[in-house]
Amino acid sequence: MAVDDNRRVPLYEGSTQYRNWRFSPDKLQETRSSLNAAAVAGIRKAFEADSAVPRTRQPGSSANVSFLTPEEENLLVKLYIGKISQLCGLFKFSEEVEATAITYLKRFYLKNTVMDWHPKNVMLTALFLATKTTNHPISLEFYASHIPKTTPSDVLDLEFLVAQSLGFEFSVWHAHRALWGLWLDIQTLPDISITTLSQVQEIALQQIRASRLTDAELIYTPSQIALACLSLASSDLAKQWAESKGSLSVLAIVENIQQLIAGEGTDPEVEAVREVDKRLRLCKNPEKVPGSKAYLAKKAEEEATALARRSKKADDVKKAMEAGDPFGDELGMREGALDDDD
Amino acid sequence: MDAVEKANAERQKRWIKDQKVGEGTYAVVYRGHEASTGKKIAIKKIKVGQFKDGLDMSAIREVKYLRELHHQNIIALFDVFSSKTNLNLVLEFLDADLELIIKDRSIVFLPADIKSWLAMTLRGLEFCHRNWVLHRDLKPNNLLIASDGQLKIADFGLARDFADPGYKMTCQVITRWYRPPELLFGSRYYSTAVDIWSVGCIFAELMLRIPYLPGESDVDQLRTTFRALGTPTEEDWPGHTKLPHYVAVGQFPKPPLRDLFTAATADALNLLSKCLIYEPRKRISARDALNHPYFFALPNPTNPAKLPKSASQLAPRPLEEVDGNVDPSGSAAAPGTKAAGTAARLKRKASVSEAETRAVARRLDFTLSSSQRSP
Amino acid sequence: MSKSGWLRGTTVRKGLGSSQNTRASTPQVQSTSTTIFGGGVKDATGKVSEYSSMEDQCPVCKSDRYLNPKLRLLVSACYHKMCESCIDRLFTLGPAPCPICGKTLRKLAFMPQTFEDLFVEKEVAVRRRLAKEFNKRREDFTDLRAYNDYLEQVEDIMFNLINDIDVAKTEDRIKQYRIENAALIEANIQKDESYAAQLREQEETERSTRAERARELEKEEDEERRAREAVERELLNNLEHSSTDALKLVAKSRAELAKREQARKASAGAAQSRAGVLRSRAVMSAIPDEPHVPLQDNWYAYEDKFVLKDDYFDPLSEAVKKDREGIMRAGGYRVEEAWERAIRCAVAGLDVPPSSELSAVQSVVPHVDLAGDVVMASA
Repeated sequence: MAVDDNRRVPLYEGSTQYRNWRFSPDKLQETRSSLNAAAVAGIRKAFEADSAVPRTRQPGSSANVSFLTPEEENLLVKLYIGKISQLCGLFKFSEEVEATAITYLKRFYLKNTVMDWHPKNVMLTALFLATKTTNHPISLEFYASHIPKTTPSDVLDLEFLVAQSLGFEFSVWHAHRALWGLWLDIQTLPDISITTLSQVQEIALQQIRASRLTDAELIYTPSQIALACLSLASSDLAKQWAESKGSLSVLAIVENIQQLIAGEGTDPEVEAVREVDKRLRLCKNPEKVPGSKAYLAKKAEEEATALARRSKKADDVKKAMEAGDPFGDELGMREGALDDDD
Repeated sequence: MDAVEKANAERQKRWIKDQKVGEGTYAVVYRGHEASTGKKIAIKKIKVGQFKDGLDMSAIREVKYLRELHHQNIIALFDVFSSKTNLNLVLEFLDADLELIIKDRSIVFLPADIKSWLAMTLRGLEFCHRNWVLHRDLKPNNLLIASDGQLKIADFGLARDFADPGYKMTCQVITRWYRPPELLFGSRYYSTAVDIWSVGCIFAELMLRIPYLPGESDVDQLRTTFRALGTPTEEDWPGHTKLPHYVAVGQFPKPPLRDLFTAATADALNLLSKCLIYEPRKRISARDALNHPYFFALPNPTNPAKLPKSASQLAPRPLEEVDGNVDPSGSAAAPGTKAAGTAARLKRKASVSEAETRAVARRLDFTLSSSQRSP
Repeated sequence: MSKSGWLRGTTVRKGLGSSQNTRASTPQVQSTSTTIFGGGVKDATGKVSEYSSMEDQCPVCKSDRYLNPKLRLLVSACYHKMCESCIDRLFTLGPAPCPICGKTLRKLAFMPQTFEDLFVEKEVAVRRRLAKEFNKRREDFTDLRAYNDYLEQVEDIMFNLINDIDVAKTEDRIKQYRIENAALIEANIQKDESYAAQLREQEETERSTRAERARELEKEEDEERRAREAVERELLNNLEHSSTDALKLVAKSRAELAKREQARKASAGAAQSRAGVLRSRAVMSAIPDEPHVPLQDNWYAYEDKFVLKDDYFDPLSEAVKKDREGIMRAGGYRVEEAWERAIRCAVAGLDVPPSSELSAVQSVVPHVDLAGDVVMASA
């Protein structure tokens, strides 16, 4: 290309993944902590509002409630990541769908807390959304009917919320595709035995699956993760390839990823998770529970604000028409230029 | 949830709606401007919660790809924000499309103009393909023209990623007149060549000023295609008789392109023929097309700033450039949308006299247009 | 000497390389005779086109073009055709009787044939002769009836002459007419000539004005170019020597040029014809049409990081390899595209260090600038 290299922007760096979903480990921690803290504060308030009339939970002030820690939240999310994989096996979804759904779930909980939204519902919605965004759509009916105790509306109710939390950024670059690329490109290296390569690939693929349980994709690039997984299967091969690309610096990064996968890439202990789940039932945000007093109160408040805004707009319009506003488009006026729910 | 909502509310304040300019079955389009800079934008408000399967696939596709693709010849998505049940896309404002310009017989095309438009289309398409996106709905209606003359590909409602090996895709894509024969024959495995066929049809249409292959049904489309380009043989296109919806629609000889495109140069016809090769694997790629001698031969492609514009684009211009005023002559089509209904286009209230006084305007007698067969 | 080519006309002998043949199947005229034959009917430019056809045959010697390709038939004063060799043979030694009708003919009385039909040839000759004298116009008569009567008279005379009816009496009539109308005939001849002269003059002036206009245009463009160069030179000068802000100088000179353009355009504006509208494009030549550049963006797609092979060992694309019916191939699926995508993913962002940001991530929105380059600007 005749373009000066300094001005060129690599394709990956234009993606939303690189721009908006890339964090340092510290930043991740900080984000989760602050989300957690804000959630706790909010829920405390909701409990106060709710405590006037005792319902299914034990009456009492919010001081007795033990809220989840960020780490416990993460544990729960990890569990449901595993469940996504199980469901994908059931529906025979492709790896692309599975990986995308998992990414969506992780990203969702960087913007929300499990105490507001339980992962068991979010997970179903994230998976359904992933089938759509990856072009493997299935009908909602079919989907819901094959999942026990799930109605279509259970899935759909959260869809907009999930999409919103993702910032409507649906495109994801995955490590398993990078691994496939590695598989292909390594064949250009000299003296590669296909049998060895196949064995190595098997192991590397398993490592990719393990990596999905970690925060790897939120910190590193897919190519780095893929190389790390390959390295876990055969560090020599990985090194050889990296050298051929003139990227020796990446090997240090690969080290870190390897450690991360080794440390975090396992399913959570069932007992620990059960504990967390029990406590979650007690500290769930009542505002999000349809039917609770807090929920209804919140709803009423929202209605009031919306109504106020709408009537104000109507007044504005009337005033404008009386004043003969030259900027009013006839079409807009006639058909109601108002947005009914902005 | 509140944090997300709050963030959205903030984003929303940045963009101000001025006026509704169109409405379709699933979206409403507004003209607006950026609060801080006054930059002209279009806001496409997509209603959510209407469909039984949730978020509409077209909406998802549009957002997904426009979020990632940033290129001079692809419509720009500046921002996305959402309210309770609405998804708002903030797009760049484009008030005309290639279809309008082709249909406006008072505009004369020079060969250099056609070259310029084709090059911009191919650049935008090549970028899509470089990012592994098939557009699958290319037609003059979806090629929008900015006020500086740049052409932008819009409407990614049917776009998708390349399929992984062995995965099927739907064959019911691309508007019929621009649909390649492999799709008409029901092929579920295809590639970027489908978009190139559409580009070939658009190229032909730019030269002829009418659609090149207008079929009235899928079978008629095949027949029209074969009449124009000859029925493909097994040698031309190995295996095509085995495609799912294959039917024999008649044996037609291959007429020379020169007969219909009398004024085209040899280079132009060569490129056109390469875009319309039957076997998809042999069809030229977008990148190779951009390197075809046709573009390097004289005349040079017209500088986009000098490309002809339709009357509606010319008339309101002086006002906008001065102070970003609301355009009283009524604005043009829904920008950046393929909102389902053509009801999305409003009537044009362009003032003809203004257009005529501009030296740039190409208001010529109708007597001229029939004898002008470019390129 | 009158220059009215039609009435008098000089015979322009058609040379061998002449391209004046307007009749069908007219090969080059080649003469075998040593005598040059003049005459023949001239067209508007004063040239004679000679008629000949493949079926020509000399009635005297019966030779035709097949046997004698250089056959050329000429017409006698009594309107009989014969070939050059016959004419030579019969008339070189002096006047002799016409072999067909017996009339005494001289050699020089033969003319090249112009019209296919000899009868027409004769009629044309008669009319030509009479038109010189019977040249009254409508204005010369008191009413239309009289004019029509006159015309009928003329036709009558012509008919007689052409068909050899009462030739002697008719000739007398002509003589009579000539004597009676001598003055008027002369006057009309003068009028015709002056009219023709007028037309010629008009043509001349038109041609010269056109040439002048072209010259003016050239001069104008030349001037403009020189002025522009002068302004540029001045600008360069200023940039070199003055201390004023370079940008300001450039802007000033641009403004000057623009003003000049405006003034010129305004004065030229009125006379825009159809060609003028196309020319307005050239006027906008301040914006040049750049040569084509295939790709104009500045995205880097890791092209230098890998080489795509034709074939790989790849279980994931087994289905494509098998493709028994060939329908994947017929549909155009290109597995190479999927491979390239995967490999690009494998090399993309390989060297990108993890983010080290501790504060809120700035949403950096890519933005395409006027040059078509992508720029990462913060939102």
